[in-house]
Amino acid sequence: MFKILINLALKNAFLRASRAILLVIMIGASMGVMVSIEGLYEGMTSNMIDKTIRSDSGDISMFAKEYRLKNDIKYSIKNATDIAKTLDTLESVEAIVTRVKVSGLAQSATKAYPSDLIGVNFEDEQKFGKFSDFIKEGNLSLGKYGCVVGVELAKNLKLKLNSKVVFTSQDANNQIQSKLFRVKAIIHTTNINLDTRAILTNKNRVSLYLGIPETTATQIAIRSKKDNLQEILKKKYKNFDVLSFKDLNPQLTQMKTMTDIFNSITFSIVMFVVFIGVLGVMYVSILDRIREFGIMLALGYEYKYIRLQVMFEALFLGLGGFILGSIIGYLLLLYLNIYGLNLSDFADGMQSFGMSSILYAQIKLSYFTTSLYAILLASILSVFIPLRKIKKLNPVDVIKADA
Amino acid sequence: MIKLKDVQKYFYKGEEREVHALKNINLEIEKGEFSVLTGASGCGKTTLLNAIGVLDQISSGSIELEGKEIAHLNSDEKTKIRLNDMGFVFQAYNLVPVLNVRDNIAFIMRLQGYSEDRIKTRVLEIAQLLEIDNKLDSLPSLLSGGQQQRVAVARAVASKPKIILADEPTANLDSKNSQSLMDMMKELNEKEGVTILFASHDEYVVKSVNRIIKLDDGALV
Repeated sequence: MFKILINLALKNAFLRASRAILLVIMIGASMGVMVSIEGLYEGMTSNMIDKTIRSDSGDISMFAKEYRLKNDIKYSIKNATDIAKTLDTLESVEAIVTRVKVSGLAQSATKAYPSDLIGVNFEDEQKFGKFSDFIKEGNLSLGKYGCVVGVELAKNLKLKLNSKVVFTSQDANNQIQSKLFRVKAIIHTTNINLDTRAILTNKNRVSLYLGIPETTATQIAIRSKKDNLQEILKKKYKNFDVLSFKDLNPQLTQMKTMTDIFNSITFSIVMFVVFIGVLGVMYVSILDRIREFGIMLALGYEYKYIRLQVMFEALFLGLGGFILGSIIGYLLLLYLNIYGLNLSDFADGMQSFGMSSILYAQIKLSYFTTSLYAILLASILSVFIPLRKIKKLNPVDVIKADA
Repeated sequence: MIKLKDVQKYFYKGEEREVHALKNINLEIEKGEFSVLTGASGCGKTTLLNAIGVLDQISSGSIELEGKEIAHLNSDEKTKIRLNDMGFVFQAYNLVPVLNVRDNIAFIMRLQGYSEDRIKTRVLEIAQLLEIDNKLDSLPSLLSGGQQQRVAVARAVASKPKIILADEPTANLDSKNSQSLMDMMKELNEKEGVTILFASHDEYVVKSVNRIIKLDDGALV
């Protein structure tokens, strides 16, 4: 029974070749574009999250209590180097850095802008988040007075490579201090805080400038994939704020949620189109063959088998669309994953939102599996309305009309 | 084998009876009979054939198949009776267009769950008898009317039903094909012992059968 049912469904699904091909192309093109958009949006947000983790927060960051609230180096981690060394011995810790940061004012020859002077160890930062990937211009040969500035800050202060910039802030003794730097590199991290405010230089120079020991830091950032490490650290270091990436970057988490919602809406619209497409084709197909179904009922082919046959017909059409959509979607995603979507014309606007001007797509198996389930579901649901026509069919009416 | 008692059939339009299509029909058809329901157009031949084939609901009376009342069963039970006990041949052949001749003949047998080996043997046997064994891989659309009607007969007879009901099977055939089809059906009746009931006013059919059942204005004459 199953064999004849599948055989009939397969043959009838592609009986009207042009109609079936058009539907398969419609489903395929819709799914291909939908999957690409999904991959592109997810790639964009994941890229921003990844760069923020690599350039700033890590997966977990530790701060002295009240530091983030008062933004004062008085609230720093005194024995940060020792703590970092201890944590680095944990198997679950992939990389760790200590940073010291102070807020102040940066001035070029013509402009002044609020900024942060951040002392880092560039070798550790390279291991932590491939810091060199963020360099847009210049290099990390800083010399005695060299610094690295964020791309938006450079733009605001009209800084170029080798431009002078003066940073002014309070030191640990509440005395106003200034330090002259030369710009040796400009970075673009897509992390708005860094791109618009950061002046980075070697940590020991910042410690000297602020008059604090080199072992002191305002932040210890940790890379780790272990889910419960934050809880372990919270228990162990009760005097510190131990915060996850999500705690530190709620706007990015929110953006990820918004992207997921947007993708769900796009997905629903495309699936509705698939539903309407299959419904239309199956409705016309059933009307075309209503006499055939009547005869089959007269011969003893039960309605439940006709229902199954029609469902399989819709499934085959949906499956055809899915296969084509997977090919289109995968090729588009592959292209966008390798070459990206170049939006350089909008680079200024995108940078100000912390986005890269080239968006790279992600490729995930889940895009295709979710599409498969949804297309199969939409295909099955789409036959219920046309099936009502057959359900109401009295075979004798078909035979009478035939005579 | 089939016994009709006081069968009445009315066609309705709204609340009012419009046509009294079958009037108090009492009829018995024995096993192995080769008979025809005949009469002028509109006399109720097809209506009676459809009633016997439980395709149409009768207004009153009863129809028994081998002692079992079948006229008042529910829709699913009637479908099973049609599948397992009856074979149908329609005026317009009504083959499944996407299936080749082999699969069309095997259609009912597959629905009944016969093994593929049994189906293969039986399809070849019946196709040889009806002289369509050289067309087994052809689609119905590539066959002549006479060949299509032979395929329809082969489909009806392949599963060895208790009775074959054939409604105007020669109506779309020329005289040569009509004669040929009737000869073959007679041979099937004799060789396979299958009961066949026609509804027809075709002279070839009427001449070929062993029993003529005449209808006039919905009543047996």
